[in-house]
Amino acid sequence: MTQQKGNWWKPVALLMLVIAIGMDLLVWQLSGGVEFSTIAEEAIRGFILAFGGTSIALLMISLGSLHRHSQWKEQIAGLVCLSVVALYLAHSEYGKSIDGMREGGAILLSGLTAMLTAVGLVFGLLLALVTGREHVADPLLEMESTGGDVSIELNE
Amino acid sequence: MFEVSDPRIGFWLPLALLCLSIGFWITDRKDPRKKLALPGFFLSIALVVSFGITTRGEDGPETALLAVFLHMLVPVTCMAVGTLIATFSGPSPVGPLPRGLRPMGFFMAYFGLVWIAWMLISEPPSAIANGIGQTTWGAWVDAFLTILILISALAGAFCVMMGEERHKEALTLAGLTIAGGLMFYEIMHNGSQGMAASGWHSIHWSELMFLFGGLVGLISALIAFIALVYIAEKRAPDPDVVAPLTEEEKSVVEAVLRTNLNLMEGEE
Repeated sequence: MTQQKGNWWKPVALLMLVIAIGMDLLVWQLSGGVEFSTIAEEAIRGFILAFGGTSIALLMISLGSLHRHSQWKEQIAGLVCLSVVALYLAHSEYGKSIDGMREGGAILLSGLTAMLTAVGLVFGLLLALVTGREHVADPLLEMESTGGDVSIELNE
Repeated sequence: MFEVSDPRIGFWLPLALLCLSIGFWITDRKDPRKKLALPGFFLSIALVVSFGITTRGEDGPETALLAVFLHMLVPVTCMAVGTLIATFSGPSPVGPLPRGLRPMGFFMAYFGLVWIAWMLISEPPSAIANGIGQTTWGAWVDAFLTILILISALAGAFCVMMGEERHKEALTLAGLTIAGGLMFYEIMHNGSQGMAASGWHSIHWSELMFLFGGLVGLISALIAFIALVYIAEKRAPDPDVVAPLTEEEKSVVEAVLRTNLNLMEGEE
């Protein structure tokens, strides 16, 4: 049983993968298909924009919390480099359109908030259900101490 | 020149200011920057709110995003407060709320979800009915339903795998997966009140895949940040070697020790 519980994530991950593929196949069948290049292009755009946005957010947080004992040069220089490269790539990917980037950023914030809300709802409900479990009282907790006096009855 | 209605000033700058405030907030409590965290936070919220009020009715992406957030605020708050009430009114020792509130907590959580479902079958407000507003709203709903189905299936399967009579928890989460699945099928097959099925298909293939890439990008950026911190700490020089005690310092230590030892002997 312990062995089975240790490997719980494998069947659960497989189930999630099957459901995700099933949902895509359903939309595929209903929509009549889509070019794989379109999907890849959108995913790459999202990747670059989110990478750049997160790097800038982390850069701002790092700038706000700098202190003299931190190894800040590598951290700040690295984050500046990552942000500049990602934003340059995003700028090129959106055809040098700031409006396109703004639109992508807004959709990214909207979708990530939705994901966070869904995760919060499910785990919030799970927590509420799990904390509501009633347990049978442990009989050992009801017993009183004898102060060390023990009598043993031997069955002959 | 600097108008709040400009999205760079009224929306993106406050977001940067919010991140800076988080940075101030995690500084040491004696650091004077710590006192700037709350004013920075409230200033950024005030700027975003005034931007939303100033640009109300316009069709910019930031205005549409704020309209979606405003639209979802009540059901999401209902779900969040409901789950908190249900958790803290349970039989656990950390439940300070009366037990009678527990059904109300569950009711609020499910009511929030039903509210979102109702939004899909009712006429959307004008801010999210067309153009970029519709796309942003569609992306929110599609991402919410997809993650709801996947994560509740994960959590339900986890309950089953862990055993120990967790059937009620597993069944509730299975119900959530099925309800989410039905809503997903309905909008993809018949569309919703404000959008045809083809619009939802377009959102699924373009915006959801964009968000999937975005999620991977976000996680990659976090990993890159951890790698940067690791590199910086690894390159940090070893601390300076402390010079050994001088004869004078040794005599001071010895005197202190002798005094304390004599005191202890005196007490005995």
